[in-house]
Amino acid sequence: MERQIISKKKQVFSVEPTKLSPSEVFTRKYTSHLVPALKKLNMDKNSSQINQVTVKHEVDMALALSAQEFAWGRFLLQKLSSADSKSSSSNQTQILERSNDEDGEIEEKMKELQELLPGGKEMNVEEMLSEIGNYIKYLELQTSALKTIVQDTT
Amino acid sequence: MDLSVLERVKWLQQQQMVSPEFLQILGSDGREELKMVESYLGNSNDELQGFRHYETIDGCISRTSSFQMEQVKNNEENRVIALQHKRKTEGKTEKRGKKKIKTEDETESSMKGKSNMSNTETSSEIKKQEYIHVRARRGEATDRHSLAERARREKLSKKMKCLQDIVPGCNKVTGKAGMLDEIINYVQSLQQQVEFLSMKLSVLNPELEFHINELSTKQFQACFTDLPEAVSKQSMMVDVCSFPLHQHGSLDYSVINSNQTTTLGSKDQTSSSWEIHSQCLYNNLSLK
Repeated sequence: MERQIISKKKQVFSVEPTKLSPSEVFTRKYTSHLVPALKKLNMDKNSSQINQVTVKHEVDMALALSAQEFAWGRFLLQKLSSADSKSSSSNQTQILERSNDEDGEIEEKMKELQELLPGGKEMNVEEMLSEIGNYIKYLELQTSALKTIVQDTT
Repeated sequence: MDLSVLERVKWLQQQQMVSPEFLQILGSDGREELKMVESYLGNSNDELQGFRHYETIDGCISRTSSFQMEQVKNNEENRVIALQHKRKTEGKTEKRGKKKIKTEDETESSMKGKSNMSNTETSSEIKKQEYIHVRARRGEATDRHSLAERARREKLSKKMKCLQDIVPGCNKVTGKAGMLDEIINYVQSLQQQVEFLSMKLSVLNPELEFHINELSTKQFQACFTDLPEAVSKQSMMVDVCSFPLHQHGSLDYSVINSNQTTTLGSKDQTSSSWEIHSQCLYNNLSLK
């Protein structure tokens, strides 16, 4: 029965391969990682044990897996897989003392940015600026994907 | 070097009888402008011979620096900037000298003058023709380090512009510090959003199974269109930022969904249909 359904669907597939934009590719990858992981969470543990940390972990993991072509994605994956039990707090807001010197200010802000970006501390400034660009884009995609998932479950 | 420059100036004086007062006015402002104005003034008397003089004088006297061929682009930019700046400085010297000078022709000829190497006594200063000559801006050093530094700074500013396009609301703020502030705030807000959504998800997770099969392409298409306008507008960007966000869904995905809805049955079947759905996802992905 299932096979028939699958084969029927295969017949209706379009012959030409559709060209996917990177954002679509990412969204698909992301959901394909996240949704089964969430489902697994459901199955393995009782509902009472599902806490925010593990979900966040899965969310981050899905992002990292879907963005392997970027340095920050690889770094994030490394960090997550090595520190499975710890919670990854990625948005630490640090209050930095701004120096009066203008250049010093800019440097301070660069350092802040470096801390926001996973793996940013190990990059130099130029690299970090380009990585930040696509990190922002992929964060946006991630938020929209999460929104749709949340919308669907409500 | 300065001595020879002075010698040249004296030579010019003798040749074209420039007033010493004028020299005094320009004396401290940098040799470059001095030379240029000298040549222009000298030739205002005799415009026919003007261009030939420019060649020799500007080729010899002007401060140039040689640059390796690797960074051709930067040099061109510098040239353009230098050209523009040249016009500005010429404008300034115009006012000081209170004489009307045609700047455009002269800049062109002076650039030609660089390419045509003249065999005067000062030709030893001229570097080999393989190098691209970059005219230094006024007040800036011409040594390699500062040029490299300048190139690096231009790269940074390019990337900052790129980021400006990505981060919404960055256009109003000017300056590196303000923009960096905006970027930091934006990244932080995005990360907070993700955390909030995942928290929501963790709350809703038990109900996830039953509803996940309702995930439709339409939703995903909607999420593409809902993306911030600033992101979708910019399709071509420099360097890394080359993600054109198109707003069209994909055919086969919608096809799966339409088939999917027909198989939806009672609650018992929901989990199995979800399995099919996820399998389709995987099939789809493997097809790409």
